[in-house]
Amino acid sequence: MKIIEHSYCADLSWTEPLAKQLKGKIDGNFIVVPEEVQSGTRYFLECEEGIVAYYINVKYYKNLHFIQKNTKDDFIGFYYDLTDGEARLVTNTAICDLGRWKYNLAVIDGSLKTNYQVKSGSHTYALCIFIQKNKLAAFIKDDTVLFSDLQQITDPKKNTIIKFDRISNESFHILNDLRKLKVGGPVFDLNLKATVHMLMSNYLKKIARNRTIIQTIRETDIKNIIAMQMFLIENIEGPFPSISLMAKKIEMSESKFKNLFKKITGLTPNSFFMDNKLALAKELLEDKQLTISQIANRLHYSNNSHFTLNFKEHFGISPKNFIKQL
Amino acid sequence: MKKINHFYSLTPDWQEQLVQEIKGELIDDKIIVIPETLGKGHSYFTPIAEGISALFVDFVLAEPVEINRLKSETESYIFHFDLSDSVNFIKIDTVDYKIGSRENPGLAIIDNQTESSFKPSFHERTLALRLLVDKKLLNELLETNSIEEYHNEKNKYQGKSLYYYDHIDSNSILLIRSLMDKSVFDVSFDSYLKGISLKLLGNFLNRYENLSVKKNEITQTELEAVIKTQDYFLKDLCSPFPTINFLSEMAGMSSTKYKILFKKHFNDTPKKVFLNEKMLLAKKLLQSGNYHTLIEIVYELSYAKMNHFHSKYYAVFQRKPSQDFVKRPFKKGSPVLLKV
Repeated sequence: MKIIEHSYCADLSWTEPLAKQLKGKIDGNFIVVPEEVQSGTRYFLECEEGIVAYYINVKYYKNLHFIQKNTKDDFIGFYYDLTDGEARLVTNTAICDLGRWKYNLAVIDGSLKTNYQVKSGSHTYALCIFIQKNKLAAFIKDDTVLFSDLQQITDPKKNTIIKFDRISNESFHILNDLRKLKVGGPVFDLNLKATVHMLMSNYLKKIARNRTIIQTIRETDIKNIIAMQMFLIENIEGPFPSISLMAKKIEMSESKFKNLFKKITGLTPNSFFMDNKLALAKELLEDKQLTISQIANRLHYSNNSHFTLNFKEHFGISPKNFIKQL
Repeated sequence: MKKINHFYSLTPDWQEQLVQEIKGELIDDKIIVIPETLGKGHSYFTPIAEGISALFVDFVLAEPVEINRLKSETESYIFHFDLSDSVNFIKIDTVDYKIGSRENPGLAIIDNQTESSFKPSFHERTLALRLLVDKKLLNELLETNSIEEYHNEKNKYQGKSLYYYDHIDSNSILLIRSLMDKSVFDVSFDSYLKGISLKLLGNFLNRYENLSVKKNEITQTELEAVIKTQDYFLKDLCSPFPTINFLSEMAGMSSTKYKILFKKHFNDTPKKVFLNEKMLLAKKLLQSGNYHTLIEIVYELSYAKMNHFHSKYYAVFQRKPSQDFVKRPFKKGSPVLLKV
């Protein structure tokens, strides 16, 4: 296993050493890494002073072990990690598996040392955002609302924080949109900045609602609910599997299942299903490979007008108008 | 009609003057709440990055109002995305331009240094997002040509004032619509609006840069079908050309569509592609030295008349077939010759 020692911080001084460690070089805003280690893109951008975004979309060909030892501790890192494969984050107090269906958002204080292990063959898509603490504080003070949670984050005297969470469905789609774009150039930069803003917005919203209840739910229950989320995504093209079927699968009562699902994902099973189904429909329309009726068929709508209605209800414009202006 | 004057700048300080004029309420240097006498609603202004600011307006007016935007020193462009329920008007240099409606949302780009007035329709919801972008910044972002050139290309016949009108692309519409569900008083609205605005700008640049690029409108399945027919008729060059009707049926589309798609992909008609290949084959046969007479080759390629073949061959190579013809050399003891 290859060990890579590096640091992050809320300016761009960390990029050069990291590239060197990976035996690569810096080219513009890209970090170019030799093919034998990984293929794909690493891209960094300073969105504004004190906010740096780091975009990773790579496939690893070697087992890597990243050790993060920061020289500065004046920032917070937000790690949105959608890894397919095995990736593990180890801090001195906790071990956590990261990935699309595991924990996929880690908020970690810059003063902590972390170990990130990734297995060969994994495909990582991640967006890391490093924000200076005083900048984050400004974010909150701007809005004149006090959050006990965020206050703790930004107060340097309080304990350093580390938090694992799951990204919301909405954030997932925002990240997915970013993934479709070609990396590099002013258009991508704008979109990257936009993504950072929108993710922060979602995160703030989440904290405002104070959805920290999750921590009080049993670990096995969370696993079961996520298994059902996966199940829904796997069957996204078909009709909605009934609540009773899913509840039976994970041996819960229907009402408990519904309650927990809503608590953990913020959506009811059906709206989660429909959200993703229509997002898929939108992607298919964007591809322009299939006609509207073909898509309706593929997504198991009994007829076109039902599909059109659903689409319009969700996005506000009809599928036809949508493709017209693409 | 009530008239309101105001001007824009990239910083929030322009709002004070407007608030005083309409006797509205300014919250946090960002939100202007419109007084009840005028209508219901609010606007939200926020600077996003250096050289970019966004103004989001969402209101229903109780009486007709003309919002007059005065010239300002700031060198910037205004991107006006309009998703209102009914059509609004923008007046520049005494010309009224229609803009936006729910069914047909529009985007206008106006120069901040020319005066314009905005006449929203009353008793209807007006929903618009305005981005103020610094001229220098935008020109840096646009790698190829400046926006004036683009404007000149687009609207040749209109006056000198910069006014560019376009439809909004679908993804941008969805983005703006997603703002509708959010409350401007929400904590997360500020960064959400910033995100949306940057994405809109990104989408615009993308669209604008790729205007000249021809989009590939052939779907994968159709393309495969067309290629399949081409393979089919190229396999059998010696027989006559199968008809377009036959080929289009084979590809599962109408003959018109088939012809258009074929031409788009191969830059030539099916018949011409076929003929070209056939003549190349003919040349090969002529030079092979396996034939005694020209007429044998002509029959081989299923032409009924020598003349016909001759003219086709000449059209492709500008040479007569006889010039390329290599006769089968005479060999002693050849069985064919013996028979003769």
